[in-house]
Amino acid sequence: MLWVCVHLPHLAMELRQPQQPGPLAVTDGTGARRHIIACNPTAREAGIALGMDAPSSMMREPELQMFDRSKSDERRATLALASWAHQFTSDVCVEVSRWMVWMEVGSSLRYFNSLRSLYTQIKTGIEQLGYTVSAGIAPTMEAAALLTRHPDVLPIINQSELRRAINSLPLAGLDISAKAVDQLHTTGLQTIQDLLGVPADALARRFGQDLPHYLQRLLGERADVRRRHRAPAIYRRRFDFMEGVESTDGLLFPLRRILQEFAGYLRGRDLAVQHLAVTLQHRDNRETVLQLATSAPQRNAAHLFALLREKLERIAIPDPVLAILLNAGEFVEPSIIQGDFFDDPRQENDNWSALLDKLRARLGAEAIRQLGLSDDHRPENAWCVLSDDKRDTGTADTPDRPLWFLNEPKQINDLPQLLGAPERIEAGWWTGQDTRRDYYLARTNEGAHWWLFRDVGTNRWYLQGLWA
Amino acid sequence: MTVESLQALLHSSPHVWRGRETARVDARSSGYAALDARLPGGGWPIGALIEIASKTDGCGELRLTLPALKSWCQDGKSVAFIRPPHVPYAPALARNGMTLSSLLWVATDSDKDGRWAAEQLLRDGAAAVLLWSTAQEDRALRRLQLAAETGKACAFLYRSPAALKQSSPAAVRVAVSATHNGSGMSLDLMKVRGGHPGKLVLPLTRPAA
Repeated sequence: MLWVCVHLPHLAMELRQPQQPGPLAVTDGTGARRHIIACNPTAREAGIALGMDAPSSMMREPELQMFDRSKSDERRATLALASWAHQFTSDVCVEVSRWMVWMEVGSSLRYFNSLRSLYTQIKTGIEQLGYTVSAGIAPTMEAAALLTRHPDVLPIINQSELRRAINSLPLAGLDISAKAVDQLHTTGLQTIQDLLGVPADALARRFGQDLPHYLQRLLGERADVRRRHRAPAIYRRRFDFMEGVESTDGLLFPLRRILQEFAGYLRGRDLAVQHLAVTLQHRDNRETVLQLATSAPQRNAAHLFALLREKLERIAIPDPVLAILLNAGEFVEPSIIQGDFFDDPRQENDNWSALLDKLRARLGAEAIRQLGLSDDHRPENAWCVLSDDKRDTGTADTPDRPLWFLNEPKQINDLPQLLGAPERIEAGWWTGQDTRRDYYLARTNEGAHWWLFRDVGTNRWYLQGLWA
Repeated sequence: MTVESLQALLHSSPHVWRGRETARVDARSSGYAALDARLPGGGWPIGALIEIASKTDGCGELRLTLPALKSWCQDGKSVAFIRPPHVPYAPALARNGMTLSSLLWVATDSDKDGRWAAEQLLRDGAAAVLLWSTAQEDRALRRLQLAAETGKACAFLYRSPAALKQSSPAAVRVAVSATHNGSGMSLDLMKVRGGHPGKLVLPLTRPAA
């Protein structure tokens, strides 16, 4: 087994990033127990540290703005990251309260050429989601988690190196309470090696069974039995804003993150989408729903983002947005073979359909047209705009016709010079009137060629085409 | 040394600069030999803006570009008509050898949206775009020129004859009108970058209707 553990150390802060600059911190607990669990760099520079209580933080930095953590937001974000992680392995574990996700990569390494390239993909992927990430690699889950606290320690690949690699590390990075660490320090234990030297039953007597069990899992001497995370069959992602967002710009950052998570989920399940609903929630349960339909199966986050962005920029957001919801439950086979993005000959076609989607998103689906022929001798009906229920049914075997066509014939009074004999086209039974038309080629004074008809019933003349 | 051997010598070396003959221009034959002879590289320049102004609708303005469009279609490339003044009539296009599935028609009332769509298509996949626009600003033309360059596509911009009075970044500017007997189209090549401006008449087959 080889585990990559990813930890989002500033998750609480990164989920509640309001617009204004200045020192910010996220707190847990209330009253006297309210303390800092995350803060931004400005606050760190002012001397604010994790674990500091609220009153002393305010003493140190009177400008500090504090927000209560939202455990539900953290939970949604961590679970979304777990779904995203399935693109690298089917073996994923998550611990929401620790802001950690584990991926077993030993069995999928060969798909990713090397551990380094896999590791880079995971890290940059998470950074693109907009999170700070620290990662650790080790044969046990807890050792991988420990290494997220020690970015300078090299990955541990073999079980046999594990103990040696962590021996000299301090106790602070272990998953044991700060209180227990303090007690261990007072008994003179400083490093993991010191702690591992204490007999298990002695530790159990003082700290309970959990501590020796944890150390055994850390070293791989006890099985780490956990429930595996499973990617959901229907994808739902909700993102809540701290305060209502009124501008499109304010929606883009979380929207991009949500779509990137979703793209990772789709890759993990090897699926794609053609329909996607993004709901913007306003006050009083009012909603704005953006429906997206793509011409080809899609799972490219940048493409989906571009389409939704187009849509967003074309609508007026009636009220501040309190939350974004992404819903997808209908999936299709992807049209791109996984891991083959650049060599695929269909790539060009995919780019083209992506371009058409972009045009449709801005101009409306009906503005983007493909022409077809209909097997019908009436000029108005001999052509059509193709759609799902209108297919090309005609042949190119038509008489010479003008390149420009006026679907609404234009009545003319000054007749240009007629050339040649008329072509009679019966039109009576389609207009419901007894109408026959005699079509002529004509030449204007300027030398243009027109396609005219005389309504045999009314004897009026109409222009219907131009030889452009 | 004979003239022939001198010519051969001149042509054998890429290092010899041959005066009038300017840098090789990537081009697509217009399908009209007399016109190709005046265009740089022997056809419509690729990656360039080409302005076409017709005095009146129905004088051959579309047949001017049709042979090139047809050849792109045959190569499996896409071409787009953006904001054409009338319905591009599918039976006539098909009869003229256009592959309808390679042809995209963008219908929008907004000139701005039309130019936006043209830029996207030029940049990202269409071999040629025919855009009908009344835009006058130099900036709009330059954007089209840039998009054509980026996507190595041909941007045919159909404008009113009045627009030809202004200067333009286009590589080719041509005014089209019908000859009075209707047997051909008169071209006035007002600007041909790297080619030969001037007037010429192209034969047109008379419609058979």
